Amino acid sequence: MSPGVDPLERVFRNAGVTGWLHAVDVDGGREVGLRAAEPVVLASVFKLPLLLELHRQAERGLLDLAGLVRVPAEGRTRGGTGLAAMLDDATLSLRDLAYLMMTVSDNAAADVLLARVGREAVNTLLDGLGLTETRVVHDCRDMLTSLWEDAGVADQAALMQACADPEVVARLRALRPERSNRSTPREMTRLLAMIWRDEAAGAASCAAVRRLMALQVWPHRLASGFPFDDVAVSGKTGTLPTLRNEVGVVEYPDGGRYAVAVFTRSLSTAQNQPRADAAIGAAARIAIDQLRTHI
Amino acid sequence: MDLVRHLGYFLVVTEELHFGNAAARLGMAQPPLSQRIRRLEEELGMRLFERSSRRVALTEAGRLLVPEAREIVARVERMRDLMADLARGDTAVVRAGVPADLGAPVLAALIAGFRDRRPDVRLSPAEMGTAAQVAALLEGRLDVGLLRHPVAADGLAYGPVLVRHPGVLLAEDDELTAWATVHLGDLAGRELVLFPRDAEPGLYDDTLASCRRGGFVPAAITCTDRAEFALGLVLSGTAVAFGAPAETPGVVWRPLAGTPLAWRWLPAWRAEPGPYVRDFTAVAVRVLKESAGMVDEGAPPTPRVAPRPATGFLA
Repeated sequence: MSPGVDPLERVFRNAGVTGWLHAVDVDGGREVGLRAAEPVVLASVFKLPLLLELHRQAERGLLDLAGLVRVPAEGRTRGGTGLAAMLDDATLSLRDLAYLMMTVSDNAAADVLLARVGREAVNTLLDGLGLTETRVVHDCRDMLTSLWEDAGVADQAALMQACADPEVVARLRALRPERSNRSTPREMTRLLAMIWRDEAAGAASCAAVRRLMALQVWPHRLASGFPFDDVAVSGKTGTLPTLRNEVGVVEYPDGGRYAVAVFTRSLSTAQNQPRADAAIGAAARIAIDQLRTHI
Repeated sequence: MDLVRHLGYFLVVTEELHFGNAAARLGMAQPPLSQRIRRLEEELGMRLFERSSRRVALTEAGRLLVPEAREIVARVERMRDLMADLARGDTAVVRAGVPADLGAPVLAALIAGFRDRRPDVRLSPAEMGTAAQVAALLEGRLDVGLLRHPVAADGLAYGPVLVRHPGVLLAEDDELTAWATVHLGDLAGRELVLFPRDAEPGLYDDTLASCRRGGFVPAAITCTDRAEFALGLVLSGTAVAFGAPAETPGVVWRPLAGTPLAWRWLPAWRAEPGPYVRDFTAVAVRVLKESAGMVDEGAPPTPRVAPRPATGFLA
């Protein structure tokens, strides 16, 4: 690769993906971007604005975060983690559902919460924050259903097999921003910066959102770029066939805080691509290093 | 009576706790020594020793007198030395220890600054590590020193603590030079060139402990107090070094993210400061701030581990 190529592009190309990125200093406003204003598919990243609306409704007394919800096994949205993968009826609080939704990207928990707060309420919140490119158009169940329809399969196991075929992947509407939950890298970092500055909601709500993002378990994407004990990484991933995303905030020991949104799409349909996952962290570190260059 | 001389006799007896041995050390017979100690006791109105047939012990008053007597005797000696120097036409000299890696411009600024403040006194700098300076200060071979923290030595007094956060020196073709700031963990697997542990025992241990905490366990450590030798190892890509930016072509300096290393300096002198020590300390503090980028010691930052679920306990 020629040395003249943008280092962010080089990282993405070497990992076999196309990348969209925006990084901003939460307190300083300096920014670095790559296709930062283009629409991107959020995948599970939409759970972040959903979580924020959940807390805003609790602030207004519309719901009780500690209130218990019964989530029967029957009819739950399926997925690979959390309640979506568990077998039995469960009863837990709204905020513990939020914990599962954010830390292991539990689809069942997300759909219970989205049904509770309302999809349009999330979009109204986004309008109020000035994030008009960001839309939530469906819940996890509807997104999965569209994937099954487009792939011509009847269940999740068959979808997994079908999505190894590039021609099938090319048909999936859920991978097109205009037909899916969507945003832009720039709007996602604006949202993160507002959460970290206590501007997206009350300070207690923003702190609760930050807590859950710090408890996310995945180490392979954003966090992989910062293998340092004194650096805190909080994030939310999003994954669909060929799509690997993560948005989050990286906090340095000197107090520097940087919001980063990275969205990637791989040419290969292989599901296991550790290099593509790691490219998210590597690109984020390059972007943050550029933000810190003039410190 | 000559009080100072009598205090000198008293101090020798306190060191020997035996009149015969003390008299032998002083080159005199025992009876006149005993008589002079009694005259001192009469002069001060206190018994200084408990005498029995077998042993001599200090009384409480004697114990209290020891540090006072030491200071008076030392000050009078220094005063005599100073007057003798002047009588011989010699210039007064301040013997100052400075660390090996202070750097030529800083040393030059230090000497020039002292010359401006005390044109009548000559500054005689000696390049020494902290361990050697402590020994030389205690033995009176140095008047003042610039030590590297941490250091603990009885009998020394210390000036203000200054701190500098070293960065890392890399060969220019090292891939880490792509970063604007480097984390200690990025250095993992590399070799390190560092000052010798013999010279800077406290700081050596402190630095390596910080490296381990930050994820950097050097594959090998080469010790040298020669800056040129260290830079040669860096230039060749053999090792990395910590320090201030170097002007050497081919060597690239990068700050360490979060300033995980804090190198502290502090002036030190014997408990009774000699003449001009205050002048030297004032000049040194100013020069280290202006020429070496040091700042007053603030509260040292507490190293913090940011917990992550995937790397926590039992994950």
